[in-house]
Amino acid sequence: MTGKPNFLLPTNLESPGAVQFWQGLQTGKFLAPRCLSCGELFFPPRSHCPECLEDSFVWEELSGKGVLYSWTELFFTQPEFDTPFFLGLIDLAEGIGRITARISKDKAEELYIGMPLLIKVLQHGDGMAIYYAEPARAKDAGL
Amino acid sequence: MSLSGKRAAIIGIGTVRVGRYPEKQESELAMEVIRAALNDAQISVKQIEGLFTTPDLQNNIGLQTNLLCEYLRISPRSMAEISCGAIAGGLTLKYAADEIQSGRIKIALCYGAVREGSINWFKNLGQGQGKGWTMIEPTALQPYAANGLIWAYALSARRYMHETGATEEDFALAAVRNRQNAAGNPDAAFTKPITVEDVLHSRCLSSPIKLLDAVASRDGAAAVIVASEELARDISPHPIYLQGWGLHHDPSCVIPTDGCSKSISHFRATQEAAREAFEKTGIKPDDVDVAEIYAPFSSHELIVPEDIGWFQSGEMVQAIRNGETEISGRIPINTGGGLISRGHPWAATPLYETAQIVRQLRGTAGAMQVRGAKVGLMHCEGGMMNNGLIMIFGRD
Repeated sequence: MTGKPNFLLPTNLESPGAVQFWQGLQTGKFLAPRCLSCGELFFPPRSHCPECLEDSFVWEELSGKGVLYSWTELFFTQPEFDTPFFLGLIDLAEGIGRITARISKDKAEELYIGMPLLIKVLQHGDGMAIYYAEPARAKDAGL
Repeated sequence: MSLSGKRAAIIGIGTVRVGRYPEKQESELAMEVIRAALNDAQISVKQIEGLFTTPDLQNNIGLQTNLLCEYLRISPRSMAEISCGAIAGGLTLKYAADEIQSGRIKIALCYGAVREGSINWFKNLGQGQGKGWTMIEPTALQPYAANGLIWAYALSARRYMHETGATEEDFALAAVRNRQNAAGNPDAAFTKPITVEDVLHSRCLSSPIKLLDAVASRDGAAAVIVASEELARDISPHPIYLQGWGLHHDPSCVIPTDGCSKSISHFRATQEAAREAFEKTGIKPDDVDVAEIYAPFSSHELIVPEDIGWFQSGEMVQAIRNGETEISGRIPINTGGGLISRGHPWAATPLYETAQIVRQLRGTAGAMQVRGAKVGLMHCEGGMMNNGLIMIFGRD
């Protein structure tokens, strides 16, 4: 990832229910909250459990394994980005939902729906870390 | 249908051509289309008992009814500024019809006016600061996809291609059909003829979506006057009746947060809204003579008709190739040019769609007239295809 950073700083870095996620990334961990009341594991993190509406969680590390559900080569976006780049919509292996992430590939021909991916952490400095997706071998992505 | 069995009816429509009106306020555009709708209905503004409108994001103070009541010197007994994404214009009609069918009022004015000042709001969709509400889930989306929603529709389009075998040429066919239809619509912003080649070679925005596959945000305004069935029969030469509607909101959309089983190539909100509308009216999909659907990108000109029920999943690929949704086809869709070629003043779009259905059912759609059209369907959506409204109109 050269030139422009190709991501924006999220606006919820300090929001309740998300701060632990971003702090976790800084230590290389991809975390999701599990509700202490009903046991629901969910992503993206939020202030309240979407299943029972309670607000106490324990944070669990996700495997980072995923499968590409759809993708686009993005040319038209905000000026902060070095375009084009590939944006993937990824099924998390835990089955709890999907995430969008930049895919570290250069050619559209190398992407296919169903391809195994791993969520990786990029340390940005200034105490900030961001996630992206990297192509993986099927067995490493849990397939 | 209400408990009394009486329907609401549309007796007047007013529109301006979609385009750019940098010199005008949204309230000026509103006044122009309201005057046109009153003239079309042949009623006095003093007869208005209900006033329903969409958000005014240029000023963003939520006080349009206060302003408009003063401008129009009217005293409605029912009023609301309704905000719910781009479905808002459709909801003004729904709540006007509800109030009329409850018997509290007999006649209501619905309008939406949008200037490009609103686009600043749209650009900020993904960047609600701090703990504020945002449509773009910050943790799962925002680092890479904060602004606009083209990427979301692109992901949906790619998945539809994967599941059905649709190609970019098929999507382009829908854009070309819309442009052909726009040529006959005095409201349309984009009328210059285009070819499939033009679409395929236009600038890529977010693959597979290219510039000519995409909606353009523009200024516009539309007003619709709704009346009780009795009053409409009395005073209108051509009342168009609201036979019924369906409405649905799904918990999540392109980025499912409730599991990995949710489709993004079909949309449950539209499917459920259609099911309810057809069930309530007893009308079947194949009874519909003409339809206006909300498709901001050409890919969704294939997806939405399948969700409404005219086609099974994937059948639109052959249907668009065979011209089945053209004026002379099995189900003519977007005879006014659709969002892509009419242009998309977002909050007013459902009212533009309704105006086009009214013209079709009155038999005044000119070169784009579907011969003998009796039943028309209007679809609109909000969010990212995760809420949907379908209205079915008819003439006696």
